[in-house]
Amino acid sequence: MIKKRFNPITDKSSEIIAFLMASPDMPNDPDLRFKIELSVEEAVENVVHYAYEDGIGWLEAGTSLDNESLVLTIELRDAGVPFNPLEKADPDVNLSADQREVGGLGIYLCKKMMDSIEYRYEDGNNVLIMRKIVKN
Amino acid sequence: MKVTINKQNEKTLVTLEGRVDSTNAEQFQQDIAPLMEGDGSDIDIDCTGMTYTSSQGLRVFLLLQKSVMAHQGTMVMRNMDSRVKEVFDITGFSNIITIL
Repeated sequence: MIKKRFNPITDKSSEIIAFLMASPDMPNDPDLRFKIELSVEEAVENVVHYAYEDGIGWLEAGTSLDNESLVLTIELRDAGVPFNPLEKADPDVNLSADQREVGGLGIYLCKKMMDSIEYRYEDGNNVLIMRKIVKN
Repeated sequence: MKVTINKQNEKTLVTLEGRVDSTNAEQFQQDIAPLMEGDGSDIDIDCTGMTYTSSQGLRVFLLLQKSVMAHQGTMVMRNMDSRVKEVFDITGFSNIITIL
């Protein structure tokens, strides 16, 4: 896995996203890259803004690519407040504009754009793993 | 995101160019604030040059749509990039915002 630890992460979203998107594991196909970048942004933003109560802490970001199955794995790890983003209920996308609440779409977009997303709490860390088949 | 607003009588023409993400969504919201003043005009947004939006951008588009409806105006978005359109489709925003 190609990975890097960012510490502190306050205001570092762009740098973390750029690091992940520059990984040689990432596909070149623009449609795939769009979906992956969106998911990466939403997941990274979640950690940067909500993981640490005082806003100061680390995030380890990594990628790996299985050359046989062409499954790209993106892993985010932090030592912040235990939080499983997958437990949050999906927004009701059938409501009218009046009824829709502003926000709450980030993790939902990750779920829809990636092929799988899993969370575990391990050794005091939040671990979020997102996978995408990058066959063009 | 570059925002150009051109008010012509009852019609307001807007062009969006570039990307809206977590780094510039706040600025984007400020840039389109004139569209939320509530003069009830018809807003026509050309999205030809808009290449990306994250949930932070969607948030601003929803605020704008709510404002337009509250002021009995109308809003359409045109020429949306297929990838951006998919984001609007997945989140149900295609049902609440008119996309031509």
